[in-house]
Amino acid sequence: MSDPVSSLPVGRLLWSRFIWRHWCREPALTLMLVGILALGVAVFLAVRLANKAAVTGFGMFTESVSGESDFLLRPKAGLLDGAILREVRSLSGRAPLGIFPVLESSGVFADEVEGGLLRFVGTDLVALRNAANFVAGGEKGKGISFSQEEGQASPLGVSRVIYAGEAFAKAHAVKAGDEITVIVNDTPAVLTLGGILPSDPNRAEVPENLVLMDLPALQALAGREDRLSRLELRIPPGATAERVRQEMATRFAAFATERGLILETPGERKSSVTQMSSAFRLNLTILSGLALLVGVYLIMQAMEAAVVKRRGEIAILRSLGVTPGQIRRAWLVEGFILGLVGSVVGVVLGRVLAVGMVAAIGKTVNTIYYETTSSAVTLESGELLFSLVFGVVASVLAGLVPARDAAMTPPAQAMRQGTQGGGLTLLRRWPPGLIFLVAGFACAMLPPLRLEGGTVVPLGGYLAAMMLVFAASILIGVLFRPVAALLGAERDAAMRCYAASQLRRPEGRHRLTAAGLAVAIGMSAAMGILVASFETTLTSWIRQLLKADLYVAAAGASSVTNENSLSAATWQRILELPGVAGADKLQRYTISLEGKDVYLGGADYNDDAERFLQLIWIDPPDEKGPRALSGEGRTKAPAWVSESFSRRFGYGKGDTLELPVESAVQEVEITGVYAEYGNEAGTILVGREFTSRWFKDDRTSQMAIYTEAGADAEAVLETISAEFPGVMARTNEKLRTESIRIFHQTFAVTYALEAIAVIIAVAGLGLALAGLLLERRNELATLRALGATRRSIALASMWEGIGLALVGLAGGYVLSFVLGWVLIHVINPQSFGWTLSYRVPWLSFAALALVTLATAALVSWAVGYRNANLRSDREE
Amino acid sequence: MKALQVSRVTKSYGSDPVLRGVSLVLEPGERAALMGPSGSGKSTLLNCIGGIDRPDEGRIEIAGHSLAGLDEAGLCRLRRETVSTVFQFFHLLPTLSARENVEFPMQLRGIPGAERAVRVQTLIEEVGLSHRAEAMPHELSGGEMQRVAIARALAIRPGLILADEPTGNLDSTTGESILDLLEAISEKYAIAMLLVTHSPLVTRICGRTFEMKDGIISGQDAEA
Repeated sequence: MSDPVSSLPVGRLLWSRFIWRHWCREPALTLMLVGILALGVAVFLAVRLANKAAVTGFGMFTESVSGESDFLLRPKAGLLDGAILREVRSLSGRAPLGIFPVLESSGVFADEVEGGLLRFVGTDLVALRNAANFVAGGEKGKGISFSQEEGQASPLGVSRVIYAGEAFAKAHAVKAGDEITVIVNDTPAVLTLGGILPSDPNRAEVPENLVLMDLPALQALAGREDRLSRLELRIPPGATAERVRQEMATRFAAFATERGLILETPGERKSSVTQMSSAFRLNLTILSGLALLVGVYLIMQAMEAAVVKRRGEIAILRSLGVTPGQIRRAWLVEGFILGLVGSVVGVVLGRVLAVGMVAAIGKTVNTIYYETTSSAVTLESGELLFSLVFGVVASVLAGLVPARDAAMTPPAQAMRQGTQGGGLTLLRRWPPGLIFLVAGFACAMLPPLRLEGGTVVPLGGYLAAMMLVFAASILIGVLFRPVAALLGAERDAAMRCYAASQLRRPEGRHRLTAAGLAVAIGMSAAMGILVASFETTLTSWIRQLLKADLYVAAAGASSVTNENSLSAATWQRILELPGVAGADKLQRYTISLEGKDVYLGGADYNDDAERFLQLIWIDPPDEKGPRALSGEGRTKAPAWVSESFSRRFGYGKGDTLELPVESAVQEVEITGVYAEYGNEAGTILVGREFTSRWFKDDRTSQMAIYTEAGADAEAVLETISAEFPGVMARTNEKLRTESIRIFHQTFAVTYALEAIAVIIAVAGLGLALAGLLLERRNELATLRALGATRRSIALASMWEGIGLALVGLAGGYVLSFVLGWVLIHVINPQSFGWTLSYRVPWLSFAALALVTLATAALVSWAVGYRNANLRSDREE
Repeated sequence: MKALQVSRVTKSYGSDPVLRGVSLVLEPGERAALMGPSGSGKSTLLNCIGGIDRPDEGRIEIAGHSLAGLDEAGLCRLRRETVSTVFQFFHLLPTLSARENVEFPMQLRGIPGAERAVRVQTLIEEVGLSHRAEAMPHELSGGEMQRVAIARALAIRPGLILADEPTGNLDSTTGESILDLLEAISEKYAIAMLLVTHSPLVTRICGRTFEMKDGIISGQDAEA
């Protein structure tokens, strides 16, 4: 009978007799490997999913309001006149075309004036219902359908009836038939919840803060009679649909050009609606990169530890005739399977993490940017595949490099007692480090990449950051000697001297561990520098900007998408109140310039030579007084533009802009460029007299009120609040506090993820030390023979861990200073056009260093204590 | 007082008896060889004497102190202060230089720096390695490594040195010189030495030779 083993191919033999048995013999180590892989993949996926969910939440719903419109027709600025509806109908002729007029407005709950914004969508509910009925027989579930309780009134023709999703009903504990009081602009109104929009598995969940109304009712409520935000055009499905779509596209494109309107598909609109803060996106991009890099380092460390542990065995296999190629392939299979299992676990874990993160991110986004829905975390097959591929490729690549080293080592050398080594050989050579360093700085000098559609990508900055991370990973080796000298300075401390001696001539594994830690610390600390610089700049900007005594705005003003305004009657009445000396006023509009949304502000400054809003200038105007924007004696309206506008569109002082306004195109001349950190879309400020005329609008979004000398600002505030319950009134101090609170909320998720990255890196340090001690088990036996106790070996391990952490921290902080420079002076101005002053948060750095050192000490001591009694392979 | 007294020591791993009632005595300054085939229990006996392993039964006394009552810390103290070991594969700490390897046991014991420096210098000279004091282990030849290991063993001024195949990894000429060194040191400092070996050459510096087979010393009765 033949031996079954002899008939097995070498690959299967290696798998079944070695790899599989290693896993079974050491399940804890195998689980740890899988766990590390899973964690790396999970964090990476979670950041991506959360980012995507926050970005797509609103877009998904807007697409489905009218059941997947084919086109949207909207003005470049302001609102459409209702008369356009007739023209569009006549233009479409006899073609089957659903036309849905839409008005959007915002409001707040009366008892939550400073709470989250409610988004009102007004449309023709009759048409919408017909469309819903129509699609019910065809493509089910694409449109909105209404569910009404028995006995409820029909919505049609009934004003002040709203419809909302299940999430709304649940969040606010209301049911069909209940009344709610809201404030739209500065006026309270009582609305009836007519019914709940049922959830549909085929459609995005209706956002918690979205309410649907019949169009005329919302027009009346918002004071926008016969005005529309957009028209949604839908071609019913059918055999001729594609032909009609093409014909309509041509016809309406000409119409839009002629009228100065924008014709776009919902997809195009989605991308412009979801203009999330670049700062926020940049934040998440860096975090996802951080998770990826730390994950890769950890996977490399874990795989490398497993390879090094089996070097003796690999040498024996080589001496028995197994070829290096067979060993490499066996390792490839092991890395692949570990990577696959780890990635599958990671995807599940990442999905769970993402839901938690979206809760955090979504809150920020809801408050500041726009509405989203936390249920938007969906695991698309693309993301799933990407994460799986990421985990498997990282795992295989990470294992392949040390496996190649081991496979190429002559068997005699690998079998020699005390053979050590491992770690990327690249990390031992400093010339590539210098090359990466020089390349990094060279990339930082590159101009940004301008894509079609005007998107600016700071590619050079990102490349520079990547090169600098690689450079730091390699050059960090120079820090081992000074750290070893520092640790070994106390010659009476035997175990500390011994630990220092390990770092004096660091192995590849030491270098890899320190590099992993340095990358985690470096990227986290660089984010810290960015946030601190942002905070310092923002604080000084707010201090400069907020010099009035009181600030009054329409409810919901903390969101940049707020469309509420104070009516002329309200702001005029406020100005007449006792104690009020004067006010700066600003009415803000969103306009579309060169296909991109920007803000246009109509500013009207307090007529006092000393007390009026004074901006921080990047390129100051010749005249800065309160009447500087009045346009007296000028042919064109003077305009001041924000720095981000100037960078985004390339306009500067002296240039002329053509602004699309409702009635026509207006020319303005840029007379100054100022610093603004409130938005990065860009703002154009003109005199309010111009916007009032252009938009036939005498409302104001916000007022900065100066009280009379001796007047009590708090008393004036109380008077305003009592008389106008629908407005948000705040003192100077409260507004400052609120601004800083929102800032910190924006970056809340950053701190949590940074902490995870550093914890993972320190865990990697523990893992590396465990591997090192395992390799040194003969040395440990010698130490024991020389009289070292278990505790003294643990102590040596602790000092070695502290030494590694010191190298990682020192390298990480040096890296962070350079990365911080790239973020603030390259990526930041290129991606959102803000000048920030560089600031290092020393106190946070010290705290991070202490926490890292303490954790590293604890982990390494525990690892040392656990491994101190490892049996030497020379013991019988 | 005897330098070493081993009385009827037994040791088993699972159901396999490795030592079956071993007894031996060494006087201060006496050198004895322990010979026997592989698996006869030599290294296990050496581990029990060095406090790295514990016997199941029997008694081991070093300089009149029984090892039986010592806890882990006590055994560590014994290895720091009384017994040194010289290994076949030298087992120098690879990251420490020759000088640092010799100094290390004294650092562990808490001997002041000035005294350590004098002792290290003397020992390095004594083993003839003054010119190689700063060399790292991988830069030394086998003979040089064993000399460093012997200097390290002497650093704590032990009463007993256990040598496990001290010439087993050396060529014959180097082996001879190491044996001469061990003999000279033993006589100069009156250190008892138990040398485990396969080589009959080693016996030339030993006053007595114990032959070990199947866990017992020839001429002694097995316990179990």
